[in-house]
Amino acid sequence: MTTSILDLGADRIAETGAEGDDLRLAEALRQGLECAYEELLSRFQQPVYNLALRLLGDATEAADVVQEVFLKVFRNIGSFRGHSTLKTWIYRITVNEAHNARRWFFRHRRREIELDTNPEDTRQWKEAIPDRRRSPYDVAVEREQHVMIEAALSRLNPIFREAVVLRDITGLSYEEIAEILNVSLGTVKSRILRGREALRDQLAGSLNLRPALRLVPKTAE
Amino acid sequence: MSCEKVQKQISSLLDRELPAGEREGVLAHIGSCRQCGAYWEAFAGLRAQLRGLDRPPIPEDLRARLRVMASHERERRLVRLSLSARMSHWASHARLVFDNLMRPLALPFAGGSLMALVTFSLLVPSLSSFSHNFGDQSWFKPPVPESSYVPGVVHNALIVRSDIVAPEGANAVELTIDEQGKVRDYSVVRGELTPDLQSIIMLPPPFSPATVLGLPIPSKVKVIQYQAPNRRS
Ligand SMILES: [Zn+2]
Repeated sequence: MTTSILDLGADRIAETGAEGDDLRLAEALRQGLECAYEELLSRFQQPVYNLALRLLGDATEAADVVQEVFLKVFRNIGSFRGHSTLKTWIYRITVNEAHNARRWFFRHRRREIELDTNPEDTRQWKEAIPDRRRSPYDVAVEREQHVMIEAALSRLNPIFREAVVLRDITGLSYEEIAEILNVSLGTVKSRILRGREALRDQLAGSLNLRPALRLVPKTAE
Repeated sequence: MSCEKVQKQISSLLDRELPAGEREGVLAHIGSCRQCGAYWEAFAGLRAQLRGLDRPPIPEDLRARLRVMASHERERRLVRLSLSARMSHWASHARLVFDNLMRPLALPFAGGSLMALVTFSLLVPSLSSFSHNFGDQSWFKPPVPESSYVPGVVHNALIVRSDIVAPEGANAVELTIDEQGKVRDYSVVRGELTPDLQSIIMLPPPFSPATVLGLPIPSKVKVIQYQAPNRRS
């Protein structure tokens, strides 16, 4: 029984870019090769968007951050020397950009102007993907749980939120997170622990936190 | 192994970030201790929920805007590349002409630039002492108390009203405090996010929520840390 505990973590996202590959891509960007710009976007736009979305909890803000991030990446690729991976370099820019004061100011002012952003916009994509495996009841329960988790995540201390999101949403290793946040491995470990404890406390009672059936190790992915 | 110690490791165990040596002991304990078993179940469930959160596809209009930006930035780079190629060609050509012209004057010229260097370095100490005088914290005015925070010094940083401007050379963050007095978000308004500032954000908050007519409301405070630049390196 105990070995199955570890299988839960077996879905580490596969490494796509080795270091040499990163340097090649960076050099191709510096040379202005069209395919390099396409490759960078196709590799990173989706994860950067999801990271920004979970850090900020708002689709419009996340979209602004993503644009700023890629502008910085394109303009500063000359300073990328391969001391870190392209992945940690870009995620680091993303975390910093999410807490950039200048952007923050506009974001909050805009929020005051558009008091009510249309929730339909963010909901559409969820409804666009029907799921035939589960009953409408299961889907509804799951959606409700997601909403609760999202709310709890947004109430979490931002320092813990960063660590938990980088781990559980972006799927990075402790070492990569340490590099992105410029802290020690021990600090990463304790921030993730404290973040999860705070989430558990917030959600206690309101959520079924026992491992459900879908926790069965996925081997196909 | 104590339950407390085991529970501290469970989060890392789930992430497969626990060294092999420690893994066995923790696993054995979880298998035999009901309390730690329940703790593990709760954490595994939470982690699965987090990982199961939707990863919405990037919006189509954002995707399009990124593509436009990429092609614009690429153009920009190509222009700069061809410009710098032309410049370096021109520069090497010019240097050759210049060298030939200036060879008889080489020594006097070197003497002249040496003189300029000496003059400049004589000036520099006075410049740097000028910037040192700035470090005497004369910018600091005692903060006016406000209901949303307990003003004071924590981790050698000042907690002040959010409208107080952080001086140059300081590191400062603006915190959003929610109606429960907890830090919801932060933004770096000056300098960088130092380890001290990070620990202040994580503190069990010294903040009590601002109130209007007795009702707690979200508010902002600023945390300023004056620090000599490059202390970290
Ligand atoms: Zn125990």
